[in-house]
Amino acid sequence: MAIPHPRDIQMAVVDWLDERYPFTKAVDEALYQRVPNFANAFYYCFGGMVFILIAFQLLTGVLLALYYVPDATGNPAPAYTSVQFIQSTVYLGWLIRGVHFWSANLLIIMVLLHMARVYWTGSYRAPRELNWIVGVLMLLIVLFLSLTGYLLPWDSKAYFATEVTIKIAGLTPPPQLGMFVKELLQGGPVVGPPTLQRFFTLHVFVLPAVIVLLMYVHFRFIRAHGISEPL
Amino acid sequence: MAEAAAPRRYTRRTFLGWWLASLLTATVITAVAPILVYFWPAPPKGQKKGPVNVALQTPIDQLQEGDAVKFDAPRSPNTAFIMADGGGDNAPGELAFGGFVVKNSGKVNVFAINCSHLGCSVALNKDARTFDCPCHGSRFHLDGTVLQGPAPAPLSHLTWKQGATPDQIVVDGIVLGF
Amino acid sequence: MRKEGPGAAVAPPKEVQIIEVDGHGGGHTLEPDWKRLPIGPDHILYPVVVGLALFPILMGDAGHHLADDMPDEDTHPFFPDHFWPYPIIAVVMLVAVGLLAAFVQKNLQLEPSADPRAVTIPRPDWYFLFLFQFLKLGPELIMSQVIPGIVVGALVLFPFIDGIAGPRLARRLGWKSWPVPGRNIITGTIWVLGLLYVAFLEFWALAGPGFCLPYLTGPVCGA
Repeated sequence: MAIPHPRDIQMAVVDWLDERYPFTKAVDEALYQRVPNFANAFYYCFGGMVFILIAFQLLTGVLLALYYVPDATGNPAPAYTSVQFIQSTVYLGWLIRGVHFWSANLLIIMVLLHMARVYWTGSYRAPRELNWIVGVLMLLIVLFLSLTGYLLPWDSKAYFATEVTIKIAGLTPPPQLGMFVKELLQGGPVVGPPTLQRFFTLHVFVLPAVIVLLMYVHFRFIRAHGISEPL
Repeated sequence: MAEAAAPRRYTRRTFLGWWLASLLTATVITAVAPILVYFWPAPPKGQKKGPVNVALQTPIDQLQEGDAVKFDAPRSPNTAFIMADGGGDNAPGELAFGGFVVKNSGKVNVFAINCSHLGCSVALNKDARTFDCPCHGSRFHLDGTVLQGPAPAPLSHLTWKQGATPDQIVVDGIVLGF
Repeated sequence: MRKEGPGAAVAPPKEVQIIEVDGHGGGHTLEPDWKRLPIGPDHILYPVVVGLALFPILMGDAGHHLADDMPDEDTHPFFPDHFWPYPIIAVVMLVAVGLLAAFVQKNLQLEPSADPRAVTIPRPDWYFLFLFQFLKLGPELIMSQVIPGIVVGALVLFPFIDGIAGPRLARRLGWKSWPVPGRNIITGTIWVLGLLYVAFLEFWALAGPGFCLPYLTGPVCGA
């Protein structure tokens, strides 16, 4: 029996897959979709840059979670010392944390630039209204991610900035509701270890999952609508 | 088609619709209600309200007119003071991690350190005889009333009494348990 | 030149054949065979291409796009013509944030561990600084919840505001149409002024506590 050429094995695998789902067709359709030439303008790439930065964030976030300890009891708290450990002791820890930090800052700028471009060219208009709404929701989630991530190092500026933020949330009238919201966010009567655990859960589990889901919806919409008319 | 225009009757179909809707609602409620309760923070084991002994740097009888002495809540066990009154951001029952004993017009007052605007720690301005907030520029008279906004309400009082020695006071507080 | 198998050169046929794919949107055109990369399902690199395309597979069917109605010379295929800058952008950005991490350590240094008894002036990160400054300009509830809530609500609903109120306003003004913000004196100006106001608040706050400007309730300083 002759040994089959690797190409034939590959073709057999592709054929087997194609019988179960039209992979080849899907790949061709996606890859060779035609794009208008005006979409080559530099300001059409802000959205792609946001996507790339979110990918950086997810990757470096997972890496940081290997060493970060979401525990704020005691002084200095393990949360604080673990961030110090990442920054000064872990091999290339400064780089991973630095990329996470700077990408987060760059991300906000890029999201705003992307949004400004979409607004300016009127790309939110029919039939793309829903995608605009999804986009604004993602902007809010990016801001919430920044807010919750800011507390995690558990240093002085993180603590007091979060305290002010929670106070502002607690202003919601009537006062009973305000107190309720505040205590729910804090996880106790003051900003303390329970607050860090809540913010950590939001920052690491809830918000990334929601933003990935919304990104998927965003891209499905783009794929269905195609690129909008130029200005 | 003709039946569709007729007045609505309760049929087997409507009954099943309502039956399914109620089942679904019950399922959602039984799943969501415990989660909502779970969100509500339970106090840790060691959390306990009670009087807190605080040592002052300057005993009250040596405090000069128009002067104030700052004190912190004990660290170990981790303790906070309970405000007796307050408006704006402060409210009765809110917690503070520090306070001032201040002597003004011969009267001694004990205030929580938090500005009634957004809770930043106020600092004594000895020359102007005011408490100034570094965050948004609110200023208070030494009797706690507002001199300048954006603070909407006077400083909060703490409930206190003289301690065993002249340099000690006893303030209502809470051991946080974490 | 190879005549068959992977990498084989394909002579352009005399008549360019445009393949019509029968998608749900109907009739969008794909790149003709002879213009495609010489990487077919039989090529050793095909799994890489498929790997890259797993994301597009998730994306489902394309609808009828603008490009489908445009002449061929005004459009280009997504891969590789539109795709190739993105890996470069990704690498450039990664190098940029890596260099920032290496050389701008100041922003990453931790302050002392959190201590509720410490007396510090809270100062949010730059992206909330304009809101922090805005907070000083009026009653806290209105400045912190009501106005930001209205702004976010208006942003979320903007396509509908623009689509319903816009044309009516245009008719009242005697305009022939209600253009997109980039060519619209009203929505364009609102956007630019809004951004300028945010930038103004941001720089006001960044100027620091020593920088004060007069305001209705007295001078207001930076953060």
